[in-house]
Amino acid sequence: MGGPIASLHPLSRADGSASYKCPATGSNVLGSVNAPIELPGRRDALKPEDATIEVFVKPGTAPGGVGERHIEGILRGALGRIILGREKGYPRRGVVITLAVVGCDNIARGSSYLPILPALLHTSILALLSASVPLSMTFSATVLAVDSSGEIVCEPSSTDAAAAASLHVLAFTSQGHLLLNESEGRFDFDTWERVYERALAICHGTSALGSDGDVAMSENVDAQPLEGFVRDTVEDHIHREYAWKIDAA
Amino acid sequence: MASSATAPTAPPALSLPPSQFARLQPHAYLLAHLSPPASSQQPSIRANGRAPSQFRITSANTGSLTHTNGSAVVRLGDTTAVCGIKAEILHTEDIASWSVSHASSPSAPNKRRKLTNPTEKPGEDRQDGSSQAEDDDDNSYIEDFSLLVPNLSLSTGCAPGFIPGAPPSAHAQSLSHQILSLLHSSRLVRSEDLQIWYQRPNLGPEELERHNEDEQMDVDSAQDGSGGVASEVREIKAFWVLYIDIMIISLAGNPFDVAWTAVLAALRDTKLPRAWWDADNEAVVCSDLVSEARKLSLRGLPVSSSFGVFEADAASGWRAVIVPDAEEERKIAESDRKGIQRRWVLADPDGYEEGLAQERVCLVVDKVQQNGKIVIVKLEKNGGFAVDRKQMKELVETSVRRWQDINQILKEC
Repeated sequence: MGGPIASLHPLSRADGSASYKCPATGSNVLGSVNAPIELPGRRDALKPEDATIEVFVKPGTAPGGVGERHIEGILRGALGRIILGREKGYPRRGVVITLAVVGCDNIARGSSYLPILPALLHTSILALLSASVPLSMTFSATVLAVDSSGEIVCEPSSTDAAAAASLHVLAFTSQGHLLLNESEGRFDFDTWERVYERALAICHGTSALGSDGDVAMSENVDAQPLEGFVRDTVEDHIHREYAWKIDAA
Repeated sequence: MASSATAPTAPPALSLPPSQFARLQPHAYLLAHLSPPASSQQPSIRANGRAPSQFRITSANTGSLTHTNGSAVVRLGDTTAVCGIKAEILHTEDIASWSVSHASSPSAPNKRRKLTNPTEKPGEDRQDGSSQAEDDDDNSYIEDFSLLVPNLSLSTGCAPGFIPGAPPSAHAQSLSHQILSLLHSSRLVRSEDLQIWYQRPNLGPEELERHNEDEQMDVDSAQDGSGGVASEVREIKAFWVLYIDIMIISLAGNPFDVAWTAVLAALRDTKLPRAWWDADNEAVVCSDLVSEARKLSLRGLPVSSSFGVFEADAASGWRAVIVPDAEEERKIAESDRKGIQRRWVLADPDGYEEGLAQERVCLVVDKVQQNGKIVIVKLEKNGGFAVDRKQMKELVETSVRRWQDINQILKEC
């Protein structure tokens, strides 16, 4: 099973866009960002010194429901802390993030959105980077399932997720903070700590934070750390965009 | 002017009353309370007079609404929620996928455990650790057929921002969804409590005997030793659907905790009438005897506690360069213990504090009755960098203390 596949700026009319596909969980998300834009509506009700962040999630085959409203709130909370809404040109304007779930197993009423939450988070951070929205840092996220025997499954498929005793989504900033944690199911604190360790290893590799580049990997993390994945995607994109310049040099 | 002439003794003071200061400079106001100058000898206390890990006074009252199957009013400080639970019957004939997927699974009745004694208190039920497989089977009914339908309404004029009669706001929708997914993931309600069975008469002698005994419809004959014969002819004819309506009638912060506590209290109060399938009328018939109605036997008592993080540095949210990385963060935490505190985790934030706390933590914990083990049912943290592993451990401990309090309150109500 390969790692995630992402591309920057697939949409030409949006300020920034990204598509993200995770083969393990089967989620495929297309996201666009428009920022800064003038928002209609009453402005005096909102914080005047900050940008307004709007997130819209559209499931693939159904109209959005209460589950989408909930996940939009989660995304807004996490992204609101990363986006520097007080930089020049942003206060009183809007950052509109639209995420379309292109491919994933149907999410029924009241069931968990957690399996595709990392894909939504990654798509939005990549789209924000592609729109050059000022950010204080980036982040990476992962989903882990713990089955009834206490075994941790990384990036579970939908059947694994349904059978799991608990599901956890953790997002770590590029500086190593725990930005977001969403856990549900029955578990104890020790399990959560194991999940935390594992998720940190998946997002940042197992080396101590702050060491640059070469990351020593443990045997249970078989892929590149996800933080590096976000970085590489942007790097590749810039490399392609500036190919003419690099060639000329 | 006359007024200046009459009061020459006291010069006009350039000070604001506390309430105005609180409105103009909310951040500085709360910070001044939490970190009083060392000379003043005052303890660090929140603007509302509580210690950082102190919850507001909670009270609960059940059974106030007579037309519901179960109801509760829960008050947490100035936040109040009313929850009413109404049970309606869903015939299996009306479920499109029923005949295909579930109608005749012969193994299902055998797997069922004997039903709880109706006199048992719902809070003291046994734990389900041993019967994992059975529970999975059990729970799929509730999720597949949406047997629990919670709905939360904020459009009651509960706070100035919410206009009565408006469509449900994104916040209300999100809360409804959280309650539904917590009901599903905590598996609080047992699906067997919601099943209405039909016992096809098999003309055996023990069948008649069973009716003489003062037993419930659901009590499987597996108990009295004839399970093999009888279980073949039992089938589910209908389900109870529980409509759980929550109205927040006053909102002063922390709506999720109060809504969830109201749901818990109302579910503990819920009584379903004895119902059975009447083959002659081809309808579900309910007994109107109150003595035959039975309470739901809930699995455990998951209690929710919410926290907000207040940062001393008002700009920490948006100053790009200042945000320290996780390593530095730990060093700062060290220095915290020695001297100046930089952030406070406030339990049960009220409306004023919620506006100042970007980072939220919500924990739902349960304590297993037998071995006293702590089970976390939901752990959410969003919107900030302050709460990491160590702080989380402390919050879990606070939540466990809260579990004890709520358990006590719900027992007494």
